[in-house]
Amino acid sequence: MKKYFLIPIIITLLFAVSCDDQLERFPVDSLVEETAYQSVSDLEAGLRGAINSINRGGGTASLIAFNSIFTDNTRIGGNNGGQQLNLLNQILNSQTGDQGTWADRYNAINNFNRVLAGAAAITPGASETSAYNEVLAQCYAFRAYLHHDVLTYYSEDLLNGSALGVHYQNTVSTSDFPARATVAENLTEIDNDLTLAASLMPSSSTDKNFATQDFITFLRARVALYSGDYTTAISNANSLISSYSLANQAQYTAMFNGDTDTTEVIFKFDNVQGNNSNIAFNWIFTGTGGNFIEMSTELFGLFTTGDVRRTVNVDPASDPGANPPLLTIGKYPAGADTNYINDYKAMRLSEIYLIRAEAHARKAAPDFAAASADVNAVRTARFGSPQTTAAYTSLNEAITGIKAERRLELCYEGFRFVDLKRYRNILNQGIERDASDCAGGIPCSLPVSSEKFTFPIPQAEINANPNMTQNSGY
Amino acid sequence: MRTKFSGILTLFLALFVQILFAQQQTVSGTVTDDTGLPLPGATVLIEGTNTGKTTDFDGNYSIKANNGQTLVFSYVGFTSQKIKVTSATINVQLKQGEALEAVTIVAYGGAVNSAKVASAIATVDGSTIEQVPINSLDQILQGAAAGVSVNTGSGQPGQSGTILIRGRGSLQGDIEPLFVIDGVPVDQDNFRSLNQNDIESLSVLKDAAATAIYGNRGSGGVVIVTTKKGKKGSGLNIQYRTLYGVAVKPKTRFEVMNASQFLTFQRDLLPGNQFGDSLSDTQIAAISAQTNTNWSDIFFQQGTTLSHELSISTGSENTSSYTSLQYYKQEGITLGSDLKRFSFRNNFNGSSESKKFNYGTTLTLNYSVNNFIVDATRGGNTGGQLDNPFIVPYIGLPYLSPYNPDGSLNLVGTQGSGALNADGTVNASGANGFVNTAFLALNTARLNTDQENEFKAVGSISADYNFAKNLTAGGSVGIDYTNIELLQITAPGSIRGLITPSQASEEKGSQSETFFRDANFIANAFLRYQNDITEDLSVTASLYGEYNYSNTQSAGFTAFGLNPALPGSGSGFTAGNTAEFPADSNGDGVDDPEDQVFNYIPGVASSESEIALASVFATAAIDYQGKYGIEATIRRDQTSRFPKNPTGTFWSVAGRWNIDNEDFMSEVDVISTLKLRVSYGVVGNQNVGSRYQGLQTVNAGPSYQLGTGYNLGTLVDENIKWETANKFNVGLSFGLWNNRLSGELDYYREVTKDLFSQKLLSVAGTGYNQVTANVADMSNTGVDLQIAYDILRKSATNPWSVKIFANGNYNKNEVERLPGGFTGNTLRVAEGRPANTWHQVRWAGVDPSNGQPLYLDINGDITNVFNPDDAVYLDKNFDPTYTGGFGADISYKGFTLSSLFSFVADRYRQNSSLAIVEDVGLAGFANQSTTILNAWTTPGQVTDIPSLSFGGLRAVDGDRYIEDASFLRLRNVTLSYTVDSKILEKTNILSGMRIFVQGTNLVTWTKWRGFDPESNQSTGFFDYPVPRTFSLGFDLNF
Repeated sequence: MKKYFLIPIIITLLFAVSCDDQLERFPVDSLVEETAYQSVSDLEAGLRGAINSINRGGGTASLIAFNSIFTDNTRIGGNNGGQQLNLLNQILNSQTGDQGTWADRYNAINNFNRVLAGAAAITPGASETSAYNEVLAQCYAFRAYLHHDVLTYYSEDLLNGSALGVHYQNTVSTSDFPARATVAENLTEIDNDLTLAASLMPSSSTDKNFATQDFITFLRARVALYSGDYTTAISNANSLISSYSLANQAQYTAMFNGDTDTTEVIFKFDNVQGNNSNIAFNWIFTGTGGNFIEMSTELFGLFTTGDVRRTVNVDPASDPGANPPLLTIGKYPAGADTNYINDYKAMRLSEIYLIRAEAHARKAAPDFAAASADVNAVRTARFGSPQTTAAYTSLNEAITGIKAERRLELCYEGFRFVDLKRYRNILNQGIERDASDCAGGIPCSLPVSSEKFTFPIPQAEINANPNMTQNSGY
Repeated sequence: MRTKFSGILTLFLALFVQILFAQQQTVSGTVTDDTGLPLPGATVLIEGTNTGKTTDFDGNYSIKANNGQTLVFSYVGFTSQKIKVTSATINVQLKQGEALEAVTIVAYGGAVNSAKVASAIATVDGSTIEQVPINSLDQILQGAAAGVSVNTGSGQPGQSGTILIRGRGSLQGDIEPLFVIDGVPVDQDNFRSLNQNDIESLSVLKDAAATAIYGNRGSGGVVIVTTKKGKKGSGLNIQYRTLYGVAVKPKTRFEVMNASQFLTFQRDLLPGNQFGDSLSDTQIAAISAQTNTNWSDIFFQQGTTLSHELSISTGSENTSSYTSLQYYKQEGITLGSDLKRFSFRNNFNGSSESKKFNYGTTLTLNYSVNNFIVDATRGGNTGGQLDNPFIVPYIGLPYLSPYNPDGSLNLVGTQGSGALNADGTVNASGANGFVNTAFLALNTARLNTDQENEFKAVGSISADYNFAKNLTAGGSVGIDYTNIELLQITAPGSIRGLITPSQASEEKGSQSETFFRDANFIANAFLRYQNDITEDLSVTASLYGEYNYSNTQSAGFTAFGLNPALPGSGSGFTAGNTAEFPADSNGDGVDDPEDQVFNYIPGVASSESEIALASVFATAAIDYQGKYGIEATIRRDQTSRFPKNPTGTFWSVAGRWNIDNEDFMSEVDVISTLKLRVSYGVVGNQNVGSRYQGLQTVNAGPSYQLGTGYNLGTLVDENIKWETANKFNVGLSFGLWNNRLSGELDYYREVTKDLFSQKLLSVAGTGYNQVTANVADMSNTGVDLQIAYDILRKSATNPWSVKIFANGNYNKNEVERLPGGFTGNTLRVAEGRPANTWHQVRWAGVDPSNGQPLYLDINGDITNVFNPDDAVYLDKNFDPTYTGGFGADISYKGFTLSSLFSFVADRYRQNSSLAIVEDVGLAGFANQSTTILNAWTTPGQVTDIPSLSFGGLRAVDGDRYIEDASFLRLRNVTLSYTVDSKILEKTNILSGMRIFVQGTNLVTWTKWRGFDPESNQSTGFFDYPVPRTFSLGFDLNF
């Protein structure tokens, strides 16, 4: 019987084998959120992560791609194997149609909110206050920027303050099911964030790769223009025009080819080797450079000789004389550095000139001469010699001129769709593609009444959120 | 023939045998049972030695023994006999001992009498999978057992398949069973290095009663692999086996255009500008007379399989061992894919003189070298990669010649394919372009490297000690260690090398090496009580403690700019800080800093993760008179994966009624076995997401401007816990007419609760559209049937044996609860429907009046507008409803013909390969299906191909290419001849010899229009098909 003494030993052993203290395992390769933000430098890392989560021109949710391909600035490329057919076919539905823009922007906004939440738990030392404030300012500025993006694409009528806007996400939540606010409420929130950002932003912050005081001014001008507050648009534009000058032809070329000139850049998303969003791969294949999307023949025809924008936008690899013509989009070239590293110039001074032109044309007491003068300033810089643009005589004429100039100046920078949307009711024009750009079953036009000038709220949001209202027509 | 054999074998005899065995005589005879039936596999051992033999299928044996030595004849279930050697012929009739019936391998318990099993377990005998030229253990199970569905996504040597036991049990978590080799749980995905010839049996544990003991890892079922062991008292056995096979491509079930068809089609039918447009009939005839390439012929080769194996088993009174060594080589059906492996296995078992202390060790060491080509599943590929060889038989242009003028294969391309400039130089962009696909695929397969070297060790040591009456204590420690070294080289001279690291870099090519190490440890201790309390009542109860720990690490680098003279060597890498100045933006002729480019910065990576699981569990079983039995299991698991909910308790109860043992059945002669089994239990699944799924992580790493950035990792629900499967099973095991007809019929219903799925969130409110949480429920209800019938049994008077068998599973899967109603787009998981069900707009053919594609709208009315909102549930599912296999074993004297068919029915997959060759939008540069020649041209024409003027319709195809992927396949057929031992005895060296020819995957019947309907991918996109294999081999026993 004495062998039974083994039983307690064995039972002890059984439980020793299953000991609990072996079960606390923490990740080796990542941090745990509860303890991630401890210092201002952690917040700075959070800020970089948040900025990095914004679409920087290429890949999924690229509005550069959407604005160009959905509209009349591109046509199917010679090497297309099915790429971007949905956009060429103007398929815009609530399943996938928004290209992930809604999710991309709100996710980025959430990242800024999480940095702000992390910051709330940190009290900076005296020497860190400026750095700490700058992180806050950046977060508020980008939050406003991103919300304005969402508002622009998902609101049916930016000029109507009581129309449905979007949700303004300014808290961290994992269970919020918000309804849509009005456009006016969104504009107030944007303004609040920009005001906060401006008050916290150190004047020493002038890095164009981040938000700055000028970024805030620029955004105010753009927001004001889109929402019909033309005097605010003009005053903010004036402020920037007084402190920047338009790029000359050489500077313009250098700005897009190699990112070596930033004369007229107010803000850009910096793409660097090792962290590049590959904007050019919106239209060409990785590695080979073959085109699946090319410049539309219509747009090509609009670039006249002497216009530096022709050489910048039409890649030297193009062969316009071929049948069909080969028109490689050149705005984001392999460039001097060969690796398709191109910054996403999200705010340029020429846009400010055209904002001011439009604001002059659309304000309560239109100043068509000022409008045409601003357009002409851009043209003069691009041609490298004084150009003449006759003063507009009507709103219709002014908008027609400004729309045409914006197309040339801002093509492939994410504006064409928004422009067509904003001007369609003034000019009664939808999207009209040239016959040569819509062969093979690709639609040649989108009527002005189409619901597709506003993005559908993604079905995933509608499914998840009973409080969300879908846009009309979807 | 017979003389020839003796002649050859006499040579052996002359060389070795006589010298060794000259002093002995050969004793031979037949071992039969008390009815005179031969007993194959009975043991004949010379008492007091390790020398022994087993009888052949006719019960014959021959052994070398000295006069006066004693032979011990034994057979499981029979009483042993000892006979002193006095003559050269000793025939023995063994008497049936206590009814020891077939045994079943169960979890943690080893072999138990099958009659006493109350759970649902399917057993696959190792002999049915031996010498089958399929290299992955999981794939071998296809069609072999009821309720086991196996699908492989690629026929590439070394790729593993997906196993589902009784349907899909999880939506996002692990759906595959736990694999346990000799008590050691092993990685599910790396089977390529295991030698299936080492397997004694596979037990597929299906219901809760069988799997609850594995607690939170048992919900997908468990496959217990038992490897071969020496038999105690069996003496020395040596076996050499070899196999040689060839693999060929499967039948092509689609047709693409030839050169003349394609060029004429381009000219006459296809809108737009193409190569064929300007050609005259004479020119087309001339081109197609010169070049009419069937790219299938170029890309498929005959693969070969070669295997050599030597195994030695010994068994003395107290110890036994089994050792095997195998070399296996398999070449795929396209160049560049092959597998070579060496495997070594040793099992050793021993016991003390008193048999109270038993111990054992197992060790498997495997090394494999696996070369891969770019296929549809490897490394996150989609199949659309232009260097995927299996894209080429579809889209390769027939008017391009694969050969250089000197007759060698053209690995670069031609001017016509865009690879060469007019001056004959290579155009890097064109060479990598669409039109050059065929040459690019050839080039990559021949010049680039994608190789995995896998070293795998599975080992364990175990011991138990019957230290007191009815009490046994024991324990084991095991390890599953896998080390994979991945080598990927884009050679500087290859087409891909032209653009690696970039088109403008001066040095070319890249080399990437990744080291992956996965180590799983398991330690287990137990205490068992076993007592036959009365003659009628016996009780077994065990208490276990167990600790599992897994650690996975990987690290790797990618270097750029290789020296072509030093392939594969680090000495050939270009320094990472090498700057190049391809442009001179200010035109001053000097290298300026702003033009500086770094092309060769290496990429590096390193990661580690771990998980631990600690468990206590207990089992108990009571048997009354061999008629009634109750089993119960309970397990408490604690996991590191769910910090907020670490503890889970799983359990099962099962009962059986052995009706055949009832007194009232003694009169019923027709029924020899009848057993009713019922079980219910709760098992879990913890394998979902990452190993840190219960912690909200923040990723750190190079971010904006390459500064360190923090980003929230995947949003998690920190309150998650395991999925729990509630499994009910009722089964009947039966045997009629002396078990001539035997089988098992099981009905099951499994409801999995708290499934990990997407809990929908508002992106606007939270930044995320979903979080993985325990939110869904799903059920699998079905029937397993396994049946075998011995039409003829071999006997003293009948040389024939004919046995037929079949197994099948019907499984109905239903998602019972899912927040938001559904997930997915065209392939959906939707509440009230089976998981993975197709949801698409219905294609309704072509309008005969104008050639326009037609659809059905949501109400089922014809429309000519494609609207995604018209999508409906098609009642077509990706997971099959019916799976199974059947076959026959027929033997006559020494000949045996075995066959196994497997089938899958009611399964639908998207055939995107065919969609490509019927997409006329691509017809400018990709070959097309001959069906396109039927495109609508004239009003009134009835056809299923729309007018070409509507261009490529791939974005608006709807359900046009969702095809029935059911199939019936002749999985394996073997004809073997076992040489009569009476002939072999003359050799004095061989005791057994078997020769066989075999065909694997010989014929497939299916409606699928592609190479291979089988896949674990819902969409077929230029997959590597499973090949047809013919092999020849022999086994020699010494």
